[in-house]
Amino acid sequence: MMPAFSSLASAWLFALLVPLVVFYFLKLKRPRMEIPSLVLWRQVMSDQRVNSPFQRFKRHLLLLLQILILVLLALAAMQPFLRREATRGQRLPILIDISASMAGLDHEGGQSRLDVVKKRVRDLIDGMLPDQEFSLVAFGKSARRLTPFTNNQRELREALDTLTVEDVPSDLEEALRLAQALGRTEPFEKLTLFSDGNFPARINFELPFEIDFQKIDPAGPNFGIVACNARRAPGGRWQVFVQIAGSQNAESAAGTLELAQQGQVIAHQDVALARGSSPRLAFDLAGGQSATLEVRLKLNGFDSLQSDNIAWLTLPETRPLAIFVPESLAGYRHALEVLDQLSIFPRPDAATPSALDLVITDREADLALPARVRCTIGILPEDLRPLVQVEQHNSQAIDWRRDSPLLQHVNLRDVIFMDQPVRIGDTKEEAFGQLGYEVIAQAEHGPLLVEKRTGETLQVHLLFHTDRSTLPYRVGFPIFVSNLVEAAWQQAGLAEARAIATGVLPPLAATPNQGYRLEGPARQRHEMRSDADGRLTGLPAPIAGEYVLKGDDGSTQRIGASLLSSAETSLATLDRIDFNDQLSVKAAPAPAKSDRSFWWALAFAGFLVLLLEWWWFQRGSFTTA
Amino acid sequence: MPDTSQITSLLTNRDLDRMARLRLNVSRQFTNRARGEHLAAKGGASTEFCDYRDYAPGDDVRFVDWNIFARIQRPYLKQFHHEEEMHVALLVDASQSMLFEGKLALAQRLAAALGVIGLRANEKVGAYALGAGNRLTPKRGRAAQGQLFRHLEDITGGGTTPVEKGIEGFLRQHRGRGLAVVISDFLTDGDLRRAFNLLHNAGLQIFAVQILGPSELDPEITGDLRFVDCETVNHLDISAAGDLLSLYHEYRLAHEARLSALCQQRSGKFLSISSAESFENVLFGLMRRQGWII
Repeated sequence: MMPAFSSLASAWLFALLVPLVVFYFLKLKRPRMEIPSLVLWRQVMSDQRVNSPFQRFKRHLLLLLQILILVLLALAAMQPFLRREATRGQRLPILIDISASMAGLDHEGGQSRLDVVKKRVRDLIDGMLPDQEFSLVAFGKSARRLTPFTNNQRELREALDTLTVEDVPSDLEEALRLAQALGRTEPFEKLTLFSDGNFPARINFELPFEIDFQKIDPAGPNFGIVACNARRAPGGRWQVFVQIAGSQNAESAAGTLELAQQGQVIAHQDVALARGSSPRLAFDLAGGQSATLEVRLKLNGFDSLQSDNIAWLTLPETRPLAIFVPESLAGYRHALEVLDQLSIFPRPDAATPSALDLVITDREADLALPARVRCTIGILPEDLRPLVQVEQHNSQAIDWRRDSPLLQHVNLRDVIFMDQPVRIGDTKEEAFGQLGYEVIAQAEHGPLLVEKRTGETLQVHLLFHTDRSTLPYRVGFPIFVSNLVEAAWQQAGLAEARAIATGVLPPLAATPNQGYRLEGPARQRHEMRSDADGRLTGLPAPIAGEYVLKGDDGSTQRIGASLLSSAETSLATLDRIDFNDQLSVKAAPAPAKSDRSFWWALAFAGFLVLLLEWWWFQRGSFTTA
Repeated sequence: MPDTSQITSLLTNRDLDRMARLRLNVSRQFTNRARGEHLAAKGGASTEFCDYRDYAPGDDVRFVDWNIFARIQRPYLKQFHHEEEMHVALLVDASQSMLFEGKLALAQRLAAALGVIGLRANEKVGAYALGAGNRLTPKRGRAAQGQLFRHLEDITGGGTTPVEKGIEGFLRQHRGRGLAVVISDFLTDGDLRRAFNLLHNAGLQIFAVQILGPSELDPEITGDLRFVDCETVNHLDISAAGDLLSLYHEYRLAHEARLSALCQQRSGKFLSISSAESFENVLFGLMRRQGWII
């Protein structure tokens, strides 16, 4: 440990030694005392014993004590400290992982990882030197700066105390980017990262600074729900799937997985979890009205993380898909009739509903029908007319997106199209992308099939009429129609349901331009306003639990957010972080030791010497008393 | 309101009563040739028989013991003690240094007491303020008490003459053998040996009383000080460090020892007292115990 000074500028105080000595010897303020006679004192002062070197030293002891006091105070003002690290930074960002795994306990009733980190960071804050500035950055899925660079220990401690774990996966890249942004205005050379090491092994980031990775010991054994979803099953039923996984240090556990609806357990399964196993449990539930399921994992033994033992799944209502196909498109209606749970309109026994899930039409008049998925046949969209014209020539598909959901298992080879879409002039393919269109089938001179997503609607445009092609006679046609229906199921949200992960809630449908308030667990409160399209976006849900969305019109909607992160549940930890530029950072072998300031010891020593000087100065009075 | 029944402000009536039976214990060799109440070593004309000696031609035949001559037919001369008078010179240091801490007041009271004792023993008592120069010529008898008291009360101090110079000045005016009571602090750079020799050679037994103040006996020094001599206005810078005080005490005691030796070598007496001591304790205690008065 090497002593060093953090405020060398204060060394000018040593210059005060000169006036101190000068004033002492000038004795400008030596008090005069009239006495009867100097006879005896002259004899005393001329005595050799008084003038011996030791006595001379004692005669100037006050001066020496004053010099000692000044030296001690000057040294204290220079802010000395014991260097306990090879390097130290004046500005030090401290990145604190607050992801879900940091809530893991080491044992029953033990400390959470975040508690351990807080203690270490508090030690760092307590030991910070006056010329040092810390900035606290907390990161989970996103990073946020808790304090700017400051040496205000109270502010740092208060910010540290407010930290709580967020039930989200950690994203170290976000934190490093934020630190990099901080460094642009206030440069630093090194940052300290406190984490349990539960993040991806490779980080897509180019390190502009040094990282002191302070790894916290991993938590105890853990099992949790890592996936939860439901799929529509025949007969209007739902198949609910729940996947459970465990941490690397979890040996085995037993418990029960329960499905509850409005507080009532509607299904449950006993689970026996072994090390390394990741069982997937399935529940068969009847459909009906929209319902929110609460999935709870109850283990018999110690489980270090609680936030991954619960998940919420919202099942949509079970209903047939409403599809409008004019009777003139008999081929399409014929292909649709064989598919299950469809209501095809128009039909004589029922009126066409106001809201449709899928519209397939070749009539421009039907384009006004509201639908989530709209497929036009042989109609050139208005905005594409400056780019494409359809000529009456035979053409063939030369390429198509085989990975597109609409064209899966659809073979367009050797299909003859008697409508030939032709690009006007030197229109390039990028021009379609600029209008929001994606070309998924391409003819020789222009696009055959394009799709465009606008908000929650999907528009599919066949720039040829199927009746003037050989497509209806190919096996790919019913497959294409089936793909369209499947897209409509997906777009309507009736095909499957997935538990919503914590972080940011997906966009929610709402009344346009209306105020909403989101209330969640741990006193989470957030107010927002829906946009003109009736969507609520960017709703934060950092804590696993059930959130209630209340509208100004009195409407209420419940949304559950779950951790659902296999990485967080696994509590996997890394001892080394790899970065883009072949750099890697290893976890520090020992906890970070902050430099120890000892100016207070020098100041205290100065005070003691001052007391000694006072005593020496006054000791005659004591003797007399 | 002053007590009008008191004879003097220096001594109480009770002190005067207690002094009635006291006498100064002086050596006979310092008596004056004039007749007095002190027996001289040689024969004299008093009524007190001393010895016989052979008659020599020219002797006064009135002193021949005729009864012995009748018995043995040889003339013997009767000798008688010679009673001589004794001067008591009260020398009070009236310098500036005596104004500190009641030294002069105690000196005045002691001088008054010793003077009264002398007057009541029918000695010739004179007083001299060293440094101030005012003098009371030697007086005899109780009637002179008043003059003595007034003279001593009028000593105000504040002089700048050192004690040895004051003694020399006194001796230029004084005639007569006896006792010189010197009351001073004896803090002088001058040659006291010479002054004491002059006193001794003048036939005066030296009774030296050194009065020091508490701050001189046990000074307090804190920090750095500039001592200023009240008489010479010279200054000396002192730093309270080390064994300065113990050295001071060492030198003070050595000074006392030197003064004591100077007095004893000249058949004198020496007494060092603090001005804080009570007058009664000094007069009726110390001085009686040390044989100054009997």
